[in-house]
Amino acid sequence: MDLSPIQKDLASKCYSAVADTCDDLMLKLASRGIRYQDEWPFAIHLLGHVFANDLNSARFLWKSIPLEIKESRPEIAAVWKIGQCLWTRDYAGVYDAIRGFDWSAEITAMVVAFSENYTKKMFQMLNSAYSTISVTDVAHFLGMSEDRAIDYALQHGWKLDSSCKMVIVKKPKTVTERKLDPSKLQRLTEYVFHLEH
Amino acid sequence: MESIEVLVAHIQGLSRSPDEVSHLHSLLKQSEDALRSHAARLAPFLSQLDPSIHTLGYLFLLEAYSSGSISGEEASGFLLTVVEFINSCSAEQIQLAPEKFISVCKSFKDQVMQLGVPMQGIAPLWMAVRKLQTSTEQLTTLHSDYLLLCLLAKCYKAGLSILDDDIFEVDHPRDHFLYCYYGGMINIGLKRFEKALACLHNVVTAPMTTLNAICVEAYKKYILVSLILNGQVPSFPKYTSSAAHRNLKNYTQPYVDLANFYASGKFSELEACIQTNQEKFLSDSNLGLVKQVLSSLYKRNIQRLTQTYLTLSLQDIANVAQLNNPKEAEMHVLQMIQDGEIFATINQKDGMVSFHEDPEQYKSCGMTEHIDFSIQRLMALSKKLSSLDDNLSCDPQYLSKVGKERQKFDFDEFDSVSHKFM
Repeated sequence: MDLSPIQKDLASKCYSAVADTCDDLMLKLASRGIRYQDEWPFAIHLLGHVFANDLNSARFLWKSIPLEIKESRPEIAAVWKIGQCLWTRDYAGVYDAIRGFDWSAEITAMVVAFSENYTKKMFQMLNSAYSTISVTDVAHFLGMSEDRAIDYALQHGWKLDSSCKMVIVKKPKTVTERKLDPSKLQRLTEYVFHLEH
Repeated sequence: MESIEVLVAHIQGLSRSPDEVSHLHSLLKQSEDALRSHAARLAPFLSQLDPSIHTLGYLFLLEAYSSGSISGEEASGFLLTVVEFINSCSAEQIQLAPEKFISVCKSFKDQVMQLGVPMQGIAPLWMAVRKLQTSTEQLTTLHSDYLLLCLLAKCYKAGLSILDDDIFEVDHPRDHFLYCYYGGMINIGLKRFEKALACLHNVVTAPMTTLNAICVEAYKKYILVSLILNGQVPSFPKYTSSAAHRNLKNYTQPYVDLANFYASGKFSELEACIQTNQEKFLSDSNLGLVKQVLSSLYKRNIQRLTQTYLTLSLQDIANVAQLNNPKEAEMHVLQMIQDGEIFATINQKDGMVSFHEDPEQYKSCGMTEHIDFSIQRLMALSKKLSSLDDNLSCDPQYLSKVGKERQKFDFDEFDSVSHKFM
C-alpha cells in the first residue's frame, strides 16, 4: 500500500494538509475494494483532523474504525482522547492526554507541533475573553505549573497582582490593514455600471 | 452469441472519430434487446474492450449486464469493473447516452449499499458526477446518490466538494428535493447550520402540487436547525407552494410544539415537551438534533442578557440561565466568546462580565475583500436572472398564455404580442 503522500506531508511538516491527504487516499483505496484498515495509519489520520480543528470529521473517523483495530493499537485511542477533551472543552485534559502517552517516533513531531499550537491558541483565547484571571486558572488553561504560567504571562506583557494572585490581561494592539489600491477603483466602477443598468 | 461477437467487432472498429461513433451509436441502439437477453454472459466480452477508447460500446454492454441479476460472487468483480470504467471512460462518449450511464451508476450504488460498503462508492461516484455534468452548475440524478453514500459511510467532508457548487440547472424536480435534503443532512453533520438551513429552505419552498415525504422530513429538520441557529422559526415566504403552506404543520405537530415551548425560554417546559415526544423524535432519527436545541437554550438566554446589560455578575448570569453555579456560567460564557457568539470580557477578580459591541468596524482590507467577493457573486447572479427572464419572455408557451389573457381586458391597447402566438 503506497502511503507516500502522507509521509511527504509529515516530512515537510505540512500538518494541516495531512487530514485531506489521508481522506483522499483512503477513498481511493476503498474504491478498489482493498482492505486497507489493517495497515492504515489511523492515529496520524485522526491527529490530522484534530490538528485542523475539524472535530466533526475526527468523531466520524473514530466511529468508523473497527473495534479490533482500536483495541490492538492503543495509540489511536490515545489520539482520540485528545480529540475527546477538545470536544468536551476539557481544556486542561488536552495536556494530560498529550503527556499521558508514550508516542511512537512517526507521530511525535506532529504531537509536539499540535501541543505548541494549542498552547498559543489557549493564550489568545484568554487574552480575548478575560480582563483579570486567577493564576491557578492560567496555569490550568496553559497546562503549565503556576510559576511557569506567571513567567509566560509576564513575557507577553501581562501584569501580576500578587496580593490576590490575579493576572491583569493586556490585550495586544491589533493592526488591521486599511490601505486601498487602484484596482479597487476599477471594481467600484463596475459596480456603479451594473447598478445603472 | 454470434451477434454479440459481431457487435464487439463493430465497437472495436468504429470508435475512432465522432462520425464513426454516432454510426456505432445507432447500431448499438438496434441491438439493445439482443444485449439484454444475453445479459448474464456479457462479462467476458467486456474484457475485450478498452473502456477509455470504446467507451460507448462498453457502456451499452455494461448497462445490459447490470440490468440482469448479479450473483453474490460476481458482485465484487462487477464493482471493480464499474470503478475501472468510470475512472477511464471518455466524457464525450458518455454524453451521447447519459441515461445508460446513470443506469449503470445506479446499479453500482445499489450493489455497494447491498454489500454494506458505501465508502467504496464515494470516489467513483464523484468522478461519475463530474463526467456526466455538462457544467458544474448542472444538477444530475447522480448528485443525490453521491451524497447518500457520503452519509451512509459517514464521510461527510467528502460531500462538500459537490455541495459547494452553485446549481443553476435542474433537469428533474425529484433530484432537487433529494439533493437539497441530503445536502442539509451533511451540513448538519458538519455543524454548518447556516448552509443546512439554506438547503432545507430550498426543499420546503420548492414548487410542488402535492406534499411529498421528503418535504415533510426536511421541514422537521428545518424547524430544529432554525431554533439552534436563530432561536425562532421563520414563517413561510411568499413563494412557498400552497400545498406546503397548508399541510406541512399538520404532519410535524411535535416539532411545532417544541418551537412554541422554546419561545417561552423555560428550560423545564422544553424538557417536558421533549420527554413527551421522545419516541417520535427517536423514530425520525432527530433526537440528537433535539438535544442540541435544548442546549442552545442556555446560549439564547445568555445572548438575551447582552441586549439589556452592560455588565452583569456571574452569579446573576447563572440565575437567569438556570445554571448551577457561577463557575458553570463562566465556562458557558467562555465557550460563547470562543465561538464568536458573544462579545464580552470576564473579570474574575470581581466576578463580573462586561458585554461589548461587535468590534468589527468593516474597515479592514480583509473585510473589504469579503464584501467585494459577495458583490461580485451578486452581480453574476443578477446577470443570470436577467438572461433567464429574457429567455422566458421569448418562450412560445408563455407568450400564448399571456396573449390569451391580455385579450380579455384591452382591445384598444396596442398589443405587442404577435397574433401568431394566440
